[in-house]
Amino acid sequence: MVLEIVVMVKQVPDSQEVVIDPVTMNLNRSMTRNVTNRADENALEAALQIKDKVPANITIVSMGPPQAETTMIECLARGADRAVLVSDRAFGGADTYPTGLTVASAISKLDHFDIIIAGEESSDSSTGHVGPGVAEFLGIDQITYCSKIEFSDGRVTAERELEDGTEVVQCPTPVLVTMLLGSNFPRMQTLRRKIDATKKGIEVWNLEKLGLQPEWVGVRGSPTIVRRMQSIKERERAKKPVTLEAIPDMVKELYEKNILKVK
Amino acid sequence: MVGLQFAKPVDKPEEYRHVFVYLENGQGRLKRVALEMIGIGRELATKVNEELVGILIGDDISAMAEEAVSYGCDRVLGAQSKDLKDFRTVPYANLVGEFVMSEKPNVFLIPATRNGRDLASRIAVKCQAGVTADCTELDIEKDTRILSARRPTYGESMLAEILCRKHRPQMATARAGIFKVPEKVGGKPSGKIDIKNVKIDKKYLNKKIIEFRKKDRVDLTAADIVVSGGLGLGGPAGFKMLEQLAGEVGGVVGASRPTADLGWISRDHQVGQTGTTVRPKLYVAAGISGKIQHIMGMKGSETIIAINTDPNAEIVKYSDYFINADINKAIPAIIDAVKKYRTELAGGKKTKTPSQ
Ligand SMILES: Cc1cc2nc3c(=O)[nH]c(=O)nc-3n(C[C@H](O)[C@H](O)[C@H](O)COP(=O)(O)OP(=O)(O)OC[C@H]3O[C@@H](n4cnc5c(N)ncnc54)[C@H](O)[C@@H]3O)c2cc1C
Ligand SMILES: Nc1ncnc2c1ncn2[C@@H]1O[C@H](COP(=O)(O)O)[C@@H](O)[C@H]1O
Repeated sequence: MVLEIVVMVKQVPDSQEVVIDPVTMNLNRSMTRNVTNRADENALEAALQIKDKVPANITIVSMGPPQAETTMIECLARGADRAVLVSDRAFGGADTYPTGLTVASAISKLDHFDIIIAGEESSDSSTGHVGPGVAEFLGIDQITYCSKIEFSDGRVTAERELEDGTEVVQCPTPVLVTMLLGSNFPRMQTLRRKIDATKKGIEVWNLEKLGLQPEWVGVRGSPTIVRRMQSIKERERAKKPVTLEAIPDMVKELYEKNILKVK
Repeated sequence: MVGLQFAKPVDKPEEYRHVFVYLENGQGRLKRVALEMIGIGRELATKVNEELVGILIGDDISAMAEEAVSYGCDRVLGAQSKDLKDFRTVPYANLVGEFVMSEKPNVFLIPATRNGRDLASRIAVKCQAGVTADCTELDIEKDTRILSARRPTYGESMLAEILCRKHRPQMATARAGIFKVPEKVGGKPSGKIDIKNVKIDKKYLNKKIIEFRKKDRVDLTAADIVVSGGLGLGGPAGFKMLEQLAGEVGGVVGASRPTADLGWISRDHQVGQTGTTVRPKLYVAAGISGKIQHIMGMKGSETIIAINTDPNAEIVKYSDYFINADINKAIPAIIDAVKKYRTELAGGKKTKTPSQ
């Protein structure tokens, strides 16, 4: 039996060079380079590591604009078998609810899946809500914030990193897993695979293919709206120069201002 | 299973009332973050003259329910079972979802902890409602009872105000360590507690927790003082010096990412975009250059001391005090000064006895 793994991938603006339009306060997408969300590269690598051990098929599913194709090619070039880009003007401006709905619909259109792997969060919306949303839409269990996953005997064993420790959990498939950013080292793309991927191409699915109503998706299907964007005002700080000799004065001042306290 | 349902606006938003908070259970005690949710929940509820209701799931939860009431919940709705001892997504989400759907809250807050986020969007999907993630400011409009949920975005440089006008409940996850733990209510708390014993169907218990390795992780978010070190420390030994200072002033040690990458200190000390966000009273940045990913995690600190040999380091811009010197001289000098100040105080100047 071949294990069917789905990896959820998002293309995001490169956080290194985010440009914000000073007038609209929106992200200036024309000036930013797009990259694969880094945690999703860890998600793909986790899938590839399972495939290194057991026969598996890896399908990438991404909702995004046509230029997300570059990310899909990249994923194929790293070793994924199939890529589905869910793309339609109607999907634009989606918050986490319709994003989850759209991605879940696409996954439910695949013949079969055993494990869905997502990143812990996307660097541009950083909610971590899309993965669990998809699990709820599909009615399956989930294991979030994993540093490590393994598959054997129809079960996933994973380590979840929580605030106060590591939880080791086991769950039979089907299950959705989210991987932590930096949880593994994503393998390189190979040139050969890249050429193959470009030839093979990717599948593009639109609204009609998913059978969803236009008012359910994108900005129209989003319960939340952004009312305002404000730049967070940086407090101007004193930058008071303190020489080594003046350290006792600084310490005294900190105590007097109650910033340091005598216990 | 909910199926592939769209987010559904409610017909009569006025029927949705009260502020609900999810009380994260730390196995036998409420987590500190649960008290923070009570704190902000209380503010919102008072502003619109509604009740504050806590939802609590777990095993043997009555003591925690009483604790919640003592901190100001008007009501606590609980569900308990031996099978709910550990947090598990599916049974927890089912129970919380049932409470929310039958009680129809106007606002529902969940902490943006890892288990809180694990839960939150599943509840939103069950209720066909929206959820705003990781809020650092929350307010409610008095007449419309619309929640104004604000969250940092674009690398913490902008604050987005997000509304959910037509769907109920208005859900948000709230960042830990931002909202104040309230004072306990005086006298005998009058809140009502309603706990039901539930039986969990085996089919919801597929996920098994086989082990929990508790780590003595530092809780950077709870500390008033964070003494952080970067590559300028030159090696793991540098952190020993910082520990000494932290110990002396009652703080904890933080770190820049590359020091954790190099294994000089464990990852849980890392401050920044991919580490922890802290906003202590005092942040010391020793040998940290101040790259944006680090700044994002600490710029909310009240007072910042930077120690750096490079007078042009980025960190200088973010400092209240800048010590342009070698860490190996500056840190011992601070430790020394702290000790001296204390001995001087103890040694007679009783006129200046500090208040607690
Ligand atoms: C996606 C991404 C996420 C990231 N997330 C984080 C994060 O969460 N947290 C984080 O910290 N970084 C993060 N980084 C890394 C970040 O970009 C910087 O590389 C890092 O913060 C630099 O660490 P540093 O200041 O310790 O080292 P450096 O930049 O090397 O700075 C060392 C400083 O020490 C000073 N110094 C040297 N010797 C001495 C001495 N003897 N006495 C005093 N000063 C001295 C130097 O002048 C210099 O300013 C991230 C990067 C990326 C790309
Ligand atoms: N548009 C999308 N298409 C496919 N997967 C997505 C999309 N948005 C988010 N995800 C997945 O959900 C994870 C969490 O994203 P977020 O909830 O936006 O923080 C990401 O790491 C991706 O794996």
